[in-house]
Amino acid sequence: MTEFLSILVLLLLANIVVGLARVLRGPSAADRMLAAEMFSTSAVVILLLLAFILDAPALLDVALVLALLAALAVVTFVGRAWSELEIRDGDGTGGDREP
Amino acid sequence: MLVFDALLAGALIWLAWQATHTPGLFRSVISFIVFGLLMALAWVRLEAPDIALAEAAIGAGATGALLLSALGRLAVTHEAGTPWQERPDLYFWIPAGAALLGLLTLAAWALPTPGLGDDVRRVLPDSGVANPVTAVLLNIRAFDTLLEIGVLLLATIAIWSLGRMPMPSAPAVRSPALTALGRVLFPMFVLVSAYLLWRGSHAPGGAFPAGAVVGAGGILSILAGAQPWLTGGVRGPWRILLSLGFATMLAVAWGVMALGQPFFAYPPGLAGLIVLVLELAAGLSIAMSLVALYLAGQPPDHWGPEAARR
Repeated sequence: MTEFLSILVLLLLANIVVGLARVLRGPSAADRMLAAEMFSTSAVVILLLLAFILDAPALLDVALVLALLAALAVVTFVGRAWSELEIRDGDGTGGDREP
Repeated sequence: MLVFDALLAGALIWLAWQATHTPGLFRSVISFIVFGLLMALAWVRLEAPDIALAEAAIGAGATGALLLSALGRLAVTHEAGTPWQERPDLYFWIPAGAALLGLLTLAAWALPTPGLGDDVRRVLPDSGVANPVTAVLLNIRAFDTLLEIGVLLLATIAIWSLGRMPMPSAPAVRSPALTALGRVLFPMFVLVSAYLLWRGSHAPGGAFPAGAVVGAGGILSILAGAQPWLTGGVRGPWRILLSLGFATMLAVAWGVMALGQPFFAYPPGLAGLIVLVLELAAGLSIAMSLVALYLAGQPPDHWGPEAARR
């Protein structure tokens, strides 16, 4: 069972690494932010699985804090960065054009 | 698990490079947020759940909100920065960085091998708590924590001295979903924070993550358009809460001297109670300084509709 969970953890981390391409390529700010949110969801699952693999219940608390605070980044993005960048920039890329 | 560690380390180095060297500021901020996320996983792999907790609370949560809202207020610039091939100063910085890395490696190598873990475990029964990290932070090396709280207080004073909060605290686009989210999530933040504070006496947790979580909850409710009842007036509750941690720690440090103990040496029977009081006071101060850092200026004496929209 532990081997199976370890493989799952590895797959989830590989998922994050592949998803980094979305942060790199964009094209819009919202795509990048959603990629980051996908990473925090994956990190929560990785922490939950590690808590069982390593038999460390303290990791459940780390996962709880991470899950709760993931909301904060996306709310800040929607509330502040996104709207202001869109209004000023007007082209919907969030002022973050490809070079 | 070796593959996992290698993948994690590779992704961390790649993200660190991205956070410092991509052309777009927004992409750098996102890379930094993801870096904090993976760093929390790295601390877990290094068997340091306390630091993982602090990194998850501060690195992935509060810092992300700070950077994103700072970005929202920056003027949009489209200059791409100098490509790294054309920067002669790198001929200085790369060898300097390598030398620093070498010295740090040497220092880590020269550390005494069993470390201080056994010493801490020996005095743990007298420290009043069962978690060695909390014992070190608030009992054995409480003086260091006093200075840390002092640094946070100084940072807040420095920011407040720059002037009033420069921005409207409410979002430009009001969304009913955001208000509802703030109302639903804020009690969760307070609950989790209280849980972490309670956990701190016997497991990873304590004042720093607890304060960071409730501070993040405060930032969230301000973003959702809430008006704090806390005001920044001269005798306002905000200043009292900000200085509460530092003042309580100093009062305890001198108070125990009245009981015939040395500076910051708690009487054995009272240690658990003192640590709990200090954690509560320090956690509240940490939370208030986080919200103050986010507001980037002194909050108004009266929160009115004009303060929110200014």
